[in-house]
Amino acid sequence: MSVCSPLILSSLVAVGLAVAGCGAPGAPRPGQTAAAEDFNDPYEDANRSVFGFNQAVDQNVLVPVAKAYRTVLPPPVRQAVHNFLTNLDGPVVFANDVLQGQVGLAGNTIVRLALNTTIGIAGLFDVATQVGVPYHSNDLGVTLATWGFVEGPYIIVPVLGPSNPRDIVGKIGDGFADPGNYVAGEHHLLLAVIARSATSGIDERSRNIESLADIERTALDYYATIRSLYRQRRQAQIRHEKSDLPNPNPVQGGDSAPDASLSYSIAK
Amino acid sequence: MIGIRAAVGAVLASILLLAMPREANAQDARAFIGTLGEQAIQVLGPGVPEVQRQARFRELFRNDFDLPGIGQFVLGRYWRTATPQEQQDFLGLFQEYLVRAYSARLGAYGGEPFRVTGERQNGEDTVVTSEIIRPNGNRIAVDWYLIGRGPYKITDVYVAGVSMKVTQRDEFASVIQRNGGRVEALIAQLRQKLSVAG
Repeated sequence: MSVCSPLILSSLVAVGLAVAGCGAPGAPRPGQTAAAEDFNDPYEDANRSVFGFNQAVDQNVLVPVAKAYRTVLPPPVRQAVHNFLTNLDGPVVFANDVLQGQVGLAGNTIVRLALNTTIGIAGLFDVATQVGVPYHSNDLGVTLATWGFVEGPYIIVPVLGPSNPRDIVGKIGDGFADPGNYVAGEHHLLLAVIARSATSGIDERSRNIESLADIERTALDYYATIRSLYRQRRQAQIRHEKSDLPNPNPVQGGDSAPDASLSYSIAK
Repeated sequence: MIGIRAAVGAVLASILLLAMPREANAQDARAFIGTLGEQAIQVLGPGVPEVQRQARFRELFRNDFDLPGIGQFVLGRYWRTATPQEQQDFLGLFQEYLVRAYSARLGAYGGEPFRVTGERQNGEDTVVTSEIIRPNGNRIAVDWYLIGRGPYKITDVYVAGVSMKVTQRDEFASVIQRNGGRVEALIAQLRQKLSVAG
């Protein structure tokens, strides 16, 4: 079975981007038309259900596992795991830097890969940041956005959380392009791919337990807050405001401060 | 939630800066923000009782934030449809909501190094850029949007490219929309949230 066949991949891309380009299906309820346009969330009812499901999974599985992860592994070890996983993502970040024409960022990524893989011992130590080569993340969803694809309707993916058609296509594409996954596929090590993905999820979750709990505690509408944070964060990434760098320079030109009155359905 | 960790974590890490009474004499935007950061540790000191922290925070919000402007923005299009009484009720509740939320966060999070990195103009507003250095070495960009010419008032804070004002407006708009467009439903929920929080 070759899930990586070009035919399947291109079909996924076509469907995903078609959904992204689509408008809201069905008749809007009275008074809800403006809402759908503001939040780009025509599937809000379904999303809220999935969100509720995700919350249950989170409370009953993910958070306990993340807390156990914290208890079992001391902070330096967890940091090393995080560094290792981040380093593994390097090739995909680099590929997307190149696809977006970001020469400087691509250079950063290559230097980081080289330094952290060698001096940093297979990525366990983030020496690159210490010598002044900062980290930035990049992914195919951002690349597609810079190529002009709009985000499409807000979608909550079971377990994985908030996303949209363009970003879903991006995640799938990045998964296929990832050399680590490719090598594991060649050797029929599906377990390695799953383990990496699961560890990455637990690592991520363990780093934001208190932050998210705090937001949930103070929120009147936690779903809406997460939706806003996610969409704004993606838009900021697409404007290449890099969260981990000071004084983000708007690479795509224009003011780095978004006009808050812009409709959210415009991605760029 | 994968992907928004940076924004979420940084929101809370950055709030710790905003917690001290200060004179609104500063003419310099950078000094205004810089002083906020420098004095943060005092209010975060061990043993600062919650009541005292909230009191200082309340004073800070009143002095250094453009609360009426922020409140009007956060209510969005519903500001016009709200009665004057609702507007006043909302502003009062919103301010208290912010005080409770952020002073609690201050108590939970320790101080993190923070430095002002620059200043630029955004139309009539001034933007002071800063960064917070996380324990793992990552740096989070925090942009402070100021209005006025000194004394300045903070009108918005962008953390990792995410606007706190916009996030709040989105959330409240969602609450109002899901309650048939009635502002009083939001007011009622705010009141209930504040009474539960204690």
